[in-house]
Amino acid sequence: MGGQTRSPLRRNEMNDQLLRTHLYDWHRSHGDVIDFAGWEMPVRYTDIREEHMAVREAVGIFDTTHMYRFIIRGPQAVDFLQTVTTNNVRKLRVGMGHYSTCLNEHGGTRDDLMLYRIGESEFVWVTNASNGPKIHSHLLEHSKRFDVIVEDKSREIAMIAVQGPRALELLSRMAETDVSEFPRFSITRLKLLGQDCFLCRTGYTGEAGGEILLLDTPFTDEGRAKATSFWEDILERGADLGVKPCGLGARDSTRLEAGFVLYGHELDENTSPIEARIPYAVKFKVDPHYIGYDVVLRHKKEGVEKTRIGFVMVDRGIPRQGYRVLKDGVEIGLVTSGGLSPVLGKGIGMAFVKPDIVAETDVIEIDIKGRIRRAEVTSWPFYDTERYGEGRSS
Amino acid sequence: MNNGTKVVEGLYYTKDHEWAKIEGDLVVVGITDHAQHALHEITYVEISEVGTVLNAGDSCGLVESMKASSDIFTPVSGEIVEVNTELEDAPELVNEDPYGKGWMFKIKPSNLEEDLKSLMDSKAYADFIASE
Repeated sequence: MGGQTRSPLRRNEMNDQLLRTHLYDWHRSHGDVIDFAGWEMPVRYTDIREEHMAVREAVGIFDTTHMYRFIIRGPQAVDFLQTVTTNNVRKLRVGMGHYSTCLNEHGGTRDDLMLYRIGESEFVWVTNASNGPKIHSHLLEHSKRFDVIVEDKSREIAMIAVQGPRALELLSRMAETDVSEFPRFSITRLKLLGQDCFLCRTGYTGEAGGEILLLDTPFTDEGRAKATSFWEDILERGADLGVKPCGLGARDSTRLEAGFVLYGHELDENTSPIEARIPYAVKFKVDPHYIGYDVVLRHKKEGVEKTRIGFVMVDRGIPRQGYRVLKDGVEIGLVTSGGLSPVLGKGIGMAFVKPDIVAETDVIEIDIKGRIRRAEVTSWPFYDTERYGEGRSS
Repeated sequence: MNNGTKVVEGLYYTKDHEWAKIEGDLVVVGITDHAQHALHEITYVEISEVGTVLNAGDSCGLVESMKASSDIFTPVSGEIVEVNTELEDAPELVNEDPYGKGWMFKIKPSNLEEDLKSLMDSKAYADFIASE
């Protein structure tokens, strides 16, 4: 037995270079810890499917402290941020956040990010763990021309996501106020369980909920103890709601089922946000123009060489990154993410293919290690939106 | 690492964590307790069709967990004569009973004596996973 993925049997080998979050000791004693993008993170606590279904049917909490958090402030913060991000920074109101991307000169994606405006001239930038150091250097370099300060606060602020149909109920208990009234994408400074926090009404699972920035948690014994007891308190306060701690396995399977892109899969330095079909992250009536503007404008106006699609397996089989996608036996692209959808009980995936060859409901084929299996092109999210996700009817 | 997983005496083992059990003139193949433990939630098993002729070490199937896809390699040469079709609807049997109900296929060996020389016995395999 062996395969495309580096042996999971080697997971527990220690490496002094790996980074840890405030909650590492808790993860180690309650779950399976793996190396993820240089971080020792829990892949699961009990069972990925159970954790996944807790997010879809109750509430799950995720340690997302491995992501990077930069504070950007100064009189020219807006001008600066508009040169390095693709959404319209001027239109972002204080107390709100938006999804955005940071591009290279060729229109490829350095990273995708959430940008929150916490003051007229003060922003929080939340970026992927794997890209944190790269983005930090990029911001430091380009901020030199502006009256602005970029600070890496990743080690001083822990971050926890609370996601699922019962998440707002749990967060409201923690806040002692009804947080379901906070609009989606808002960021609010408040006390949660008595601690000073920002609550962002955002997430990466498709479900309602929030992402908590737990302030004043330096990476010291005291800070780690504070973050750990905060985490344990959430589990205690949500026990009757069915809250479960969730690892990176469920984080990946929930984002895939929701059809969200993941850097290194659907986004990279050679892929533009237009090709990745995240148009809501890209605006064109912006001033000044951001790095990569001309290329993404061309992609929008003149079309692209590749485009993202979603698909559900018709035949048996689980698609995985790197598998070939065919139409009537002719190769048209590659799978970028794939796995089992616990909600559908079928393999689902996303792929990049040549544009204008396939449309929704078309049947394509996936080459699963030499076995050619049929799949149907579908839109995301992959689950039934009447039953699951933030917009569910019940 | 050895996380207290079970190694059964009397079976033959590969470095890729398959086991082989001689049953009359057939060889039954599955993956070890150590392997299922490392993979965790097994969601899917697929084995090549009955009648497929293989050389020892050939890939002849897939095991999918929530996180990874792994190939199954046959420990011995021969022809697949039976596939455990129960696993189509109940792949979790591999997690629950890797040496029993989670067996994957039966092969009619064509070069058994020679093939067995490259496999480990239970003691050698236990040492192997402890050192890995």
